[in-house]
Amino acid sequence: MLALVRPDSWNLPLFLHVLGATLTFGTTTTVMVLGFAGVRGDRERAVWLRSLTFWISFGILVPAFILMRGSALWILDKEFPGGHEPGWVGVGFIVSEPGALLVIVMVILAWLARSPKSRVAVAVPWLASILLVGLAIAWFAMSAKPGT
Amino acid sequence: MTLYQWLLFFHVTGAFFLIGGIVVAGILNLAAIVKDRPPSQVATLYGLIRFAVPLIGIGLLLTLVIGLWLVHNVGYSYGETWIVAAIVLWVLASALGNIDGKYQRQTGELAQRLAAEGDASSPELRARLRNPRALVISYGSGLMAFAVLGLMIWKPGV
Repeated sequence: MLALVRPDSWNLPLFLHVLGATLTFGTTTTVMVLGFAGVRGDRERAVWLRSLTFWISFGILVPAFILMRGSALWILDKEFPGGHEPGWVGVGFIVSEPGALLVIVMVILAWLARSPKSRVAVAVPWLASILLVGLAIAWFAMSAKPGT
Repeated sequence: MTLYQWLLFFHVTGAFFLIGGIVVAGILNLAAIVKDRPPSQVATLYGLIRFAVPLIGIGLLLTLVIGLWLVHNVGYSYGETWIVAAIVLWVLASALGNIDGKYQRQTGELAQRLAAEGDASSPELRARLRNPRALVISYGSGLMAFAVLGLMIWKPGV
């Protein structure tokens, strides 16, 4: 019932956090779809799709992830100014910290996969799939707030 | 966990599916129109948009059904401004999204036909891809979903 008593000053950071999270989910799904499409078919088409995967992961996924994570810290600072945050907030950290590393590795691999001779292209959509599972766990914790 | 917590989880899941699907379709659509691409590439990108369709469909269903259930569960009135505005925007976004989906399917079919006939770019395909009215409908329906997200957080009138 937090929504009923939430101070107005929390709304903007919360909106930006949810916006960033949904953009991250949508962009990660796009990277996964393009990534799987880019490991089959003729070589020219595959290289074009891998290049597109790189530009989308670098140009949209990274800013969306930063928006999600940055606004999470902003709302956390307002909601729990003295620390002592509940367990569901901890789940967000458990997902987003390795998630950030996953995004960095994914962007590097997507960049390397632009070469026609590269063999790392297949890793990109699988890493995106793992990130999607992590995001689903985080939105379960953030929305249902189990244990409260 | 209480019923409220489960409802909120499925409602938020619906929002993630809906907006996530819109983002997938929006990015692939944008990738098709920002550069002059051969019809085969346009057909590939429009073909991949089909993966966004079930996400958007499930998202639309979950956001509305679970959302209305949540209104009842929490004890809000169905006549509150932000709830009425959200439902109106949901209906408009769905209707515009449906029109856009049909238009994009036809554009994808044209691109596929051109790709099979030698993959030469055509003024008709270019005109369909950059049709201002179609773009307003497409991106307008997406922006309405983001506006609903804003309404859910600010709840004007509460």
